[in-house]
Amino acid sequence: MKLTRRTFGGVVAGAVATTSAPSAYAQGTTIKIGAVNPYSGPMAQYGDELSLCFELATEQANAAGGVLGRKLEIVRASATNAQEGIAAVEQLVGRDKVDVLIGTYVSAISNAASEAALNNGKLYWETNALARDLTDRGLPNYARSGPSSNEFAARSVEGAVKIVAAKLNKTAKDLKVWIEHEDSAYGTSVFKEQDRLFKEAGVTYGVGTHSARAIDLTDSILRAKNAAPDVWMSTGYVGDTNLLLRAARDQGFKPPAIILLGVGDTKETLDALGKEYLEGMLLISYARPDVNEAYSPGAAAFLKLYRDKFKREPIAPQGMNAFVGAKILIEAIAKAGGTEYEKVIKAAASFDKPLGTYEAGYGIKFNEKMQNTRAFPVIAQWQNGQVKAVFPDAAAGGVAIVNIPRA
Amino acid sequence: MTEFFNIIAVGLLLGGIYSLVAVGLNLIFGVVRIVNFAQGEFVMLGMYGTFAAQMALGFDPYIAPVIVVPLLFALGCAVYWLLLRPLQGEPMMQVFATFGLLMALENVVLAVTRGVGYSVNSALSQVSIKLGPLQIGLTRVIVLTAATAVAIALGWYLKTSLPGKAIRAIAQDRRAARLMGINVDRMYMISFGIGTALAGLAGCLLAPLYTMSPQIGANFIMPAFAVVVLGGLGSVAGAYAGGIIVGLTEALAGYYLDPALKQAVLFMVFIIVLLVRPQGLFGIAGAEEVGLREEH
Amino acid sequence: MKNTETPTMLPPGAYIRTLRRELPVTAAVVAAMAALVILFAGDSFSLNILATTFLFAGLATAWNIIGGLGGQFSLGHSVFFATGAIISANLFLVFQLSPWLSLPLVAAVAALLSVAVSWPVFRLRGPFFSIATMALTEVALALAIYFDRFTGGARGLSIPFRLGLENMIFRDRFSYALLMVGYLALTLLVMAIVTRSRLGYSLQAVRDNEDAAMASGIDVLRTKLAGMAISAALTAVGGTLFLMFVRVVDPPTLFSLFDVGVKVAMIALVGGIGTIYGPLLGALFLVPLESYLRAQLGGSVPGGNLIALGVVLMLTALFLRRGIFGAVQSAWHRLRRPAL
Repeated sequence: MKLTRRTFGGVVAGAVATTSAPSAYAQGTTIKIGAVNPYSGPMAQYGDELSLCFELATEQANAAGGVLGRKLEIVRASATNAQEGIAAVEQLVGRDKVDVLIGTYVSAISNAASEAALNNGKLYWETNALARDLTDRGLPNYARSGPSSNEFAARSVEGAVKIVAAKLNKTAKDLKVWIEHEDSAYGTSVFKEQDRLFKEAGVTYGVGTHSARAIDLTDSILRAKNAAPDVWMSTGYVGDTNLLLRAARDQGFKPPAIILLGVGDTKETLDALGKEYLEGMLLISYARPDVNEAYSPGAAAFLKLYRDKFKREPIAPQGMNAFVGAKILIEAIAKAGGTEYEKVIKAAASFDKPLGTYEAGYGIKFNEKMQNTRAFPVIAQWQNGQVKAVFPDAAAGGVAIVNIPRA
Repeated sequence: MTEFFNIIAVGLLLGGIYSLVAVGLNLIFGVVRIVNFAQGEFVMLGMYGTFAAQMALGFDPYIAPVIVVPLLFALGCAVYWLLLRPLQGEPMMQVFATFGLLMALENVVLAVTRGVGYSVNSALSQVSIKLGPLQIGLTRVIVLTAATAVAIALGWYLKTSLPGKAIRAIAQDRRAARLMGINVDRMYMISFGIGTALAGLAGCLLAPLYTMSPQIGANFIMPAFAVVVLGGLGSVAGAYAGGIIVGLTEALAGYYLDPALKQAVLFMVFIIVLLVRPQGLFGIAGAEEVGLREEH
Repeated sequence: MKNTETPTMLPPGAYIRTLRRELPVTAAVVAAMAALVILFAGDSFSLNILATTFLFAGLATAWNIIGGLGGQFSLGHSVFFATGAIISANLFLVFQLSPWLSLPLVAAVAALLSVAVSWPVFRLRGPFFSIATMALTEVALALAIYFDRFTGGARGLSIPFRLGLENMIFRDRFSYALLMVGYLALTLLVMAIVTRSRLGYSLQAVRDNEDAAMASGIDVLRTKLAGMAISAALTAVGGTLFLMFVRVVDPPTLFSLFDVGVKVAMIALVGGIGTIYGPLLGALFLVPLESYLRAQLGGSVPGGNLIALGVVLMLTALFLRRGIFGAVQSAWHRLRRPAL
């Protein structure tokens, strides 16, 4: 092995601080992956879930002998905002001597952390952050393996135009849509693309914006109710989405179809609203681990890995998307033969794998901005208290759409 | 016109939520004179207490106050005695201490629950009442009713009972009250305890409306302060009316203007009222001037 | 039992130094902080913490002018912080104006803005003033998100990475740490000057007893406004530096009640309110502690670092009533006069 300055530094640092992990440094062979996520604050649950699934991916790779003859290790750093994102990168690179970085549940954190990573000459591998701008920046050390907010928006428009309109025997031009979104970066990014696509499709729509911190959202529901839409779609977080749905139920607002983006597909919503009310609600979400194996090969293995390790069901489908992302990163490192960002990005860019190669139905083909163009969310539906994929057909595997228009 | 009545109903019901949350803060801020940042966290604890009571004992959320309210009263007394009483006369340090308490409480709940959003369900939570063209959820009607009942009961307690009179005496003039032989420390502790217990009660009754998160308390704290100041310090009727006004303002602004602007309108109205009537709508003139440095 | 009805409101620095004798002390303190940065050169993890520490030390010192000297417990300084960041970002993005050149402008705008919003709010006293400033923050945040033309809305604004001193963009954390020491120096200098000026004495008189101050011929409103304007201007400068430090800013972060508004007040309180070097001490204690706890505990138990921080805050409030500066001072006096 060539003794670069970095590995030399690692050996020296390891010699100084060997109390915690003597074996790792003694061999000098561990590839350390720094995981930047929020582990406190409102996103804590999801940040933690992502990092757990990064760990699953590295353990799987380690069980198969590691990469380049080296073991992989996830090192966590907590960040709940942009400023802490920078601090987390400095901590991971400066103190923990990680080789590459991975993340992130929140786009604003990814934005700042990835630039800090570039300053430190490290790769920042994105799996979950959605904001489209992240890849549009064209940062040379940045790639996103999962879908962006644009793919979520596009799926929701497909859901309205292809699925709902067909069920209601309407054309796109007759369809009336209400777009509800929360007012932070997440909801706004999704809305921006929905706005563009619906205009393009000639669909008429109304728009409502709300704060995820609001105590009451009945006013938002009444405004939507007045517009009498065929489809009511909402982008929000868990708390505000549940509050909207409860207000809709109280107010007797019954649009023929409801589409929820990103959330609403977990036990948190099931507990809040009950399966009868949720029946037939459409969900734009990452493919779940129990999706049709032909669409998402390896999903069952992931589920087993997860259950064995954590003794519970996955909290949210975001986890498998993180798992796949980490897996693709590991493959890219293997192909690159090292962890320098130029090499890994080049290796990743050379991948060309069709849809349905990985869990969650993904393939790999990065565009020039290093956004994976073969990663899409699916459309799922609440059916009898369970979430079933219904679109695209390959993911549905014969599951039929129910309860549209809503009874 | 139906539309208008509907939004008024929505505003009134929302007002009930604000009144219920603010009535406890009114005691703590109005009598004990502590800007308690952790009040929202007491509401949050009430919600999680309701969830725990349902999980462990199978209690309906509307029975949960039987255990949650006494527990929070005890917690409030302990917080006052151990954390805030030693800081009497250091109002800024008290603010700061309640902020530390807020962080600790919020994150202890986060550590225990890992941030999973719990919901509780009651037999009543799916009932929606039809009143002519209006439709309202029963859970919210219960909150408004409870807020009204609590305001009346607390007003009566403060007016007629001996401890209540002592509390009012302290609120008006602490030094004179002490000279009259009132144990100020003890009454402060009881007031703080009652304020905390009322937050717990609010938490129980609000639990069926929301999906809980450890951070949910923060959503309530600013509106609650607005309600208390708007209504007038130490005035129970004020807190009640203030809650209704804030609820109506928010609902009307949200419906007729834009839901994204309702917070801005709400706090703008608050600031304007405060400037025109610094003592609050039901407060005694001059009350606003005794505050952080009242002991001078 | 201690008589809690008569708290000591002695000016924390009981002996008064003249400005001429104060400035060398200030210079020495700044030099020590710069030395600290040089000591950690090459360790970008620590340098990043130091940069954050000095930024918040400067912000807390700026807050201290109106909050500490003037006793106006504002919790709404994030509005001025955000003003600085948003104006500088727009000038940089639209006109490629160097942030160095926009500094005087943001300071002036923030000063004017602070006078405009404080004029009415200064009618309120004590906690009412604090709560009104918190409400102002909420209004400003909602408006900033809604009118997204200049603020970038919820998605915020990103400053492209154009390396160079003239753009205040550096690759290394060392330069940022020194930049923040410079900001700290500026705020300390202004604080030292104000403390020893007529305005400073008027502010302290207003803080200690507004009615007495008025009776002795001080224009109370004018004094408060002047103190607020200086404080706001310096805070806005801090906002600009924060912008160039992070290069991604969004209204929820900038207008944050807890991460900015309450935090700067808290740092000043922990350090020693109303004293020149108290806020620096507070920042030197709190910011590294926060970073350390996050690095140590943040990854294991969800929220574990914040539980620890909350407990530390409560203990600090209980045992350091007059802040670190006060504690150091009384220890010093005890040491010098053991007989007492």
